Amino acid sequence: MATLTVSAGSRTRVALRRLGRQRLLALLFVIPLAFLVLMPIYRLQTEALSNGAQAYSTEFGRERMPGTILATIGLAVGSLAIAMAAGTLLAWSATLLPARLRWMRVLPILPIVLPFVAGVLGWTFLLSPRPGYLNALLRRLPWWDHLVAGPIDVYTLPWIVIITGLTLTAFVYLFLSAGFQNINSELIEAAHVSGSGALGVFFRVILPMIRPSLLYGGAVALLIGLGQFTAPLLLGRQSDVNVLTTEIYYALYNRTPQDPAAAAAIASPLLIVGVAVVLGQKYLLGNTSRFVTHGGRGFRPIQRKSKFAVGLILTYLLLSTVLPLVALAVVSLSPFWSRRIAPGAFSLDNFRELFATPVLVDAVWTSIWISFLAVAICLPIGFIASSLLLRAKQLKVTRAVLDLIITLPLGVPAVVFGVGFLLTYTRDPFFLYGTKWVLLVAYVTIMLPFTTRMHMSGMTALGDAYVEASRVAGAGVVTTNLRIVLPLLRSSVGGAAALMFVLLTHEFTASLLIRSAQTQVMGTVLYDTYANGNYPLVAAVAMIMTAVTFAGVVVALSIGGSKVFEDL
Amino acid sequence: MSHILVKGLHKQFAGKPPTTAIDDLDFAIEAGEFIVLLGPSGCGKTTTLRCLAGLETAGSGAISLGGTTWFDSSRRIALPPEKRNIGMVFQSYALWPHLTVRKNIGYPLQARGTKGPEAAKRVEEAAALVDCATLLDRYPAQLSGGQQQRVSLARSLVSRPDLILFDEPLSNLDAKLRDDVRAHLHELHARLKFTAVFVTHDQSEALALADRVAVMRAGRFEQIGTPFDVFERPATEYVADFIGLSNRLPAARIDGVTRVSGVEVEGLVLASAQHDEFVLRIRPEDLRLAPDRGSLSGLTTVAGTVIDSVFGGRHLDVYVAVGGLRLHARIEARTTDDWARALRGGEPVVVGFCPDFARAYGLENEGSRLITVQPLVATKD
Ligand SMILES: Nc1ncnc2c1ncn2[C@@H]1O[C@H](COP(=O)(O)OP(=O)(O)O)[C@@H](O)[C@H]1O
Ligand SMILES: [Mg+2]
Repeated sequence: MATLTVSAGSRTRVALRRLGRQRLLALLFVIPLAFLVLMPIYRLQTEALSNGAQAYSTEFGRERMPGTILATIGLAVGSLAIAMAAGTLLAWSATLLPARLRWMRVLPILPIVLPFVAGVLGWTFLLSPRPGYLNALLRRLPWWDHLVAGPIDVYTLPWIVIITGLTLTAFVYLFLSAGFQNINSELIEAAHVSGSGALGVFFRVILPMIRPSLLYGGAVALLIGLGQFTAPLLLGRQSDVNVLTTEIYYALYNRTPQDPAAAAAIASPLLIVGVAVVLGQKYLLGNTSRFVTHGGRGFRPIQRKSKFAVGLILTYLLLSTVLPLVALAVVSLSPFWSRRIAPGAFSLDNFRELFATPVLVDAVWTSIWISFLAVAICLPIGFIASSLLLRAKQLKVTRAVLDLIITLPLGVPAVVFGVGFLLTYTRDPFFLYGTKWVLLVAYVTIMLPFTTRMHMSGMTALGDAYVEASRVAGAGVVTTNLRIVLPLLRSSVGGAAALMFVLLTHEFTASLLIRSAQTQVMGTVLYDTYANGNYPLVAAVAMIMTAVTFAGVVVALSIGGSKVFEDL
Repeated sequence: MSHILVKGLHKQFAGKPPTTAIDDLDFAIEAGEFIVLLGPSGCGKTTTLRCLAGLETAGSGAISLGGTTWFDSSRRIALPPEKRNIGMVFQSYALWPHLTVRKNIGYPLQARGTKGPEAAKRVEEAAALVDCATLLDRYPAQLSGGQQQRVSLARSLVSRPDLILFDEPLSNLDAKLRDDVRAHLHELHARLKFTAVFVTHDQSEALALADRVAVMRAGRFEQIGTPFDVFERPATEYVADFIGLSNRLPAARIDGVTRVSGVEVEGLVLASAQHDEFVLRIRPEDLRLAPDRGSLSGLTTVAGTVIDSVFGGRHLDVYVAVGGLRLHARIEARTTDDWARALRGGEPVVVGFCPDFARAYGLENEGSRLITVQPLVATKD
């Protein structure tokens, strides 16, 4: 059989020259992505520098600017501190869970997928000084029974920090618990056997090994805290707490005429810090292979304090998710919001009103189908991008550029991107403002890092052997991808796609900056209703958002299992 | 004309410092030949195989099959793997988990354009060859390791490729199964006469399967030859060591006396015409032990002290200090008398061997090449 000869010279001219064609195709793929990511940033900078960079001196010369900057730093650092402490504690307790309660590990992740606006609203209903349900409850206590308002004022900076920190905890938890899972239990046992006590093991073995997860989780939490917009916008207005992101928003939507140069100038520090953090952590974690510990059973500590663990996880679930959702549900069923809960008056009137208001119904549908389209576009982009990053070893420069482009959006806060989108798509050559396409383009841009990351982790988990076996068996690149890679990626990518959909349906920040009267999504109508003071209707909108989210999460979990969260 | 011709193949991996994985390899493979690349981990076997497959692009050199150029760095030709008409058996088997055994085996046919009843017939045939005809509708996850191994073999055979590549395919099997599969593979090759390059670090596997063995060291071929050649006449000390001549006895002949690590050699004394200093290599199985020289007459002997004796079932492993050396003698337990079984550390002992079983090598600065040594007339006896 081996003497079967290939007709001489037939295809020998298929040469290294193919590289040229490959490079061209790769460029055709990378250039539009580069436009998507870099153009908004470029427009932002040219806008800020227009008029001899006048906007910088005007904006940063304002009397209240030092306070704003302090509040921004306070919010970022404060919420980071809360998140790191609580997240580490939760991740540690998750490892203490007994086998039959192992499913509880997914609970602390919920705040990531639930709409944050809904959470913030829920906390408003609980802790606003006068009608907040929890405040009303606290005023029953003997030492507070003389108060007419409070004792807690959710509209102040400390509580904005706490509520943000509670949500960021979920992110730190996510990365750390993945880090704990990766530690081979025998490494821990070896340390115990070598004479280290529990504390010694924690500080000398565990902590050094989860350092990359700590660093990564911390970086993500810091970026989100720094670019945090939702909580300060919804809560900070009442007591005039401002941060840079809200100043950016007000420069556009609280001044006539709009002042995009001011918005761009205020955005600069956020942009610089964000990009620096992203590049810094990329550099620091450049070679992560020495932290990977293969094989063996996952990490299990020796002592079991499962009651403590369960208690901690349930407490976090209560504070971050259950309480605000219950408050939302109560308000959404009530005719109006007052400190007294009157179950007798509960009705679905608010939902009826919602579905009778065309603007609101439109917004729900727009959210759903724009998110769906964005996911549909992101999937092939992520697939191609991660194939290039993982397999196109010859295209070094193209890969480096692509890697940068894909990573950058992580460091650009959504508000800042929002301004950039506005500046880019309100002018030629791509005048999209006022159409739904601008939302689509923005969503795709924001999701680039996520879709690429999840495809990359799926492909890395597959390994090279399946692909190589197919190539050796005579299948070309296209056939191999269609018949081997895609079917094998289906479950991991399917789950992650559902998750991506969920995150987009309740996108709030960028949407608020680029929406127009005709292009509303759930988040933006929720904000308008809130600004008008129609709280029960706001609560109803938030409940719908939450319901869509839950449906998406159920789909995600059923397709991909609880692993779907690991790519975030 | 040779079937496959490899010329000046060179591959370096970037890094600090860069690793040269293969270093100017030149070799030819005849049609139907079974070549085994043998060497320790990290010597470049897998890289060589992957360059042949087109999964790795060499830095320079050329590979051709018959009249077809697969790779030629100077003409900037690099045929992708799917254009090379090869088969490959991976260490992990790499059976696609979402396809049935039938579809796994049929994949190379379909990818190369064979369809319909002809393809179905060939799949059945290939499965029958490896005794997997009853497994065709299962998924890989429902197979044992040995069965996966055989399916993977069928998949590599089915399209009758010009070359089949094996990357340590037996290393994931347990010892018993490994012997069975090895015998089966040998039989298949005898029947089908496919051309194969087989990578392993296991010398017995190499000797059993190969038409020719290429012993690799740091990206180069240290020796290419028939299994008999390599086994009987290891060209260098490195090959000798790898093939099991693990006892190393540096010898020097000064003033008519040959010493091994300072200890005088008696009985049949060995000497070389050209070399005053040389190194003897000998297998543990070829060393003999006795309480005194009298019982080892006709052998080359040196005196030593027992370090330790380890019972190994059918044999005894005895470690003996001779001068500064540590020699390993493996003697059959069944034929051992009570004397050997009672050996303990510290006891004096005489080590002997038949000169025919030893191989002598020049010194390292001369490349540790095989040299001839002759026994002199027996002294003192
Ligand atoms: N992808 C790679 N990147 C860098 N170095 C590599 C890579 N693959 C192999 N090497 C190096 O090349 C040398 C030969 O490797 P390999 O061919 O896998 O050896 P073998 O199969 O004989 O164990 C080793 O030193 C190995 O570290
Ligand atoms: Mg190898």
